[in-house]
Amino acid sequence: MTTTQATHALVADRLTRDALAELLLALADDEFVIGFSDSEWTGIAPLLEEDVAMSSLAQDELGHAAALYGLLGELIDRDPDAIAYDREPDAYRHCRLLDHGRGDWAMTIARRYLYDTADAVRLEALVGGSWAPLAELVGKIVREERYHVMHAGAWLERLASVEGEPRDRLLAAWDALGPDAGTVFSPLVGETTLQGAGIVAATSGELEDRWRARIAPTLVRLRLPILPPTARPERGRLEHGEAFRSLWGGFTSVRRSDPGATW
Amino acid sequence: MIDDTAPAGAATLEPWEVFRQEKEGDPMRHGGSVLAPDAELAVHYARELFGRRQESVRLWVVRRSDVHDLADQDLLQPPLDRSFKKPGGYLMRDKLAAARAVSGQAKPRARSG
Repeated sequence: MTTTQATHALVADRLTRDALAELLLALADDEFVIGFSDSEWTGIAPLLEEDVAMSSLAQDELGHAAALYGLLGELIDRDPDAIAYDREPDAYRHCRLLDHGRGDWAMTIARRYLYDTADAVRLEALVGGSWAPLAELVGKIVREERYHVMHAGAWLERLASVEGEPRDRLLAAWDALGPDAGTVFSPLVGETTLQGAGIVAATSGELEDRWRARIAPTLVRLRLPILPPTARPERGRLEHGEAFRSLWGGFTSVRRSDPGATW
Repeated sequence: MIDDTAPAGAATLEPWEVFRQEKEGDPMRHGGSVLAPDAELAVHYARELFGRRQESVRLWVVRRSDVHDLADQDLLQPPLDRSFKKPGGYLMRDKLAAARAVSGQAKPRARSG
């Protein structure tokens, strides 16, 4: 209870609290959706070692999501499990990039690379933020995400460098994801409030530019197409498609089988 | 784990031996092995299999084919009596006891840990 009171006290201003809740929900939903989706590789990854690696990455993301839902739960005084599981699909705020299912291995790697590099840029803008609970949590998350970027980068390099099926599959995934890649930076409701309060250090637009500039040398070196502009950025975290509906059906099925049960 | 039907151009997997250190100052101990196509992924997989639960502070990853193997029993387990090469060949116990008696020191206790 002490933590809850402290958390509320720090965000007494209603506008800031609402904006912060939107940010936490977007961050948590991103981590939750990619973590759950990548966990589908457990048991079927290309080799046993990679099976362990991908499962471990997926668990990391679910761990980050749990911590972020926990912060949000304290902020708005709601059970974190209820936030994670008891919403209709359209109420989730993950970015459209993650509405693409895991697909084949090339799709998973392309999605991971785009998401992890964008996530790294986004987290850097939060780590020195004025709301201590989030800044502290992000400081820890960043240390784990470093490895995620290394892993995705190592695989992207291999798929891109081997002509034939590996590169062809990667290019197909790249084309499919391209217009949605930048949705990690879709503007959030109240982000100017957050910037004013010193909780985030830059606007979504600035972060997106920074991310595109950062990955450009890698894309040039691997001869991957420069990403197109983000499609409908203002709707980037809304209107999740059929693929997500199916994923949602999976991750809520146990919870819905016996609502209110104690596990 | 090894796919014989891998397409041409695909890297072949080979075994890498992983040594791990549990805490600073400990010796490196053999942990096991991973299959990987190259050193970079071998290090990734070593990290996942021998380090993801914070059970290691350092890992060494060595390509198995770079390890020089010696298992020649003629060299390692010679058939003749070599007991004179063991420190047990020298009976130090009585001499040590006599020296302690002179100096008045007690026998040191076995080191723990």
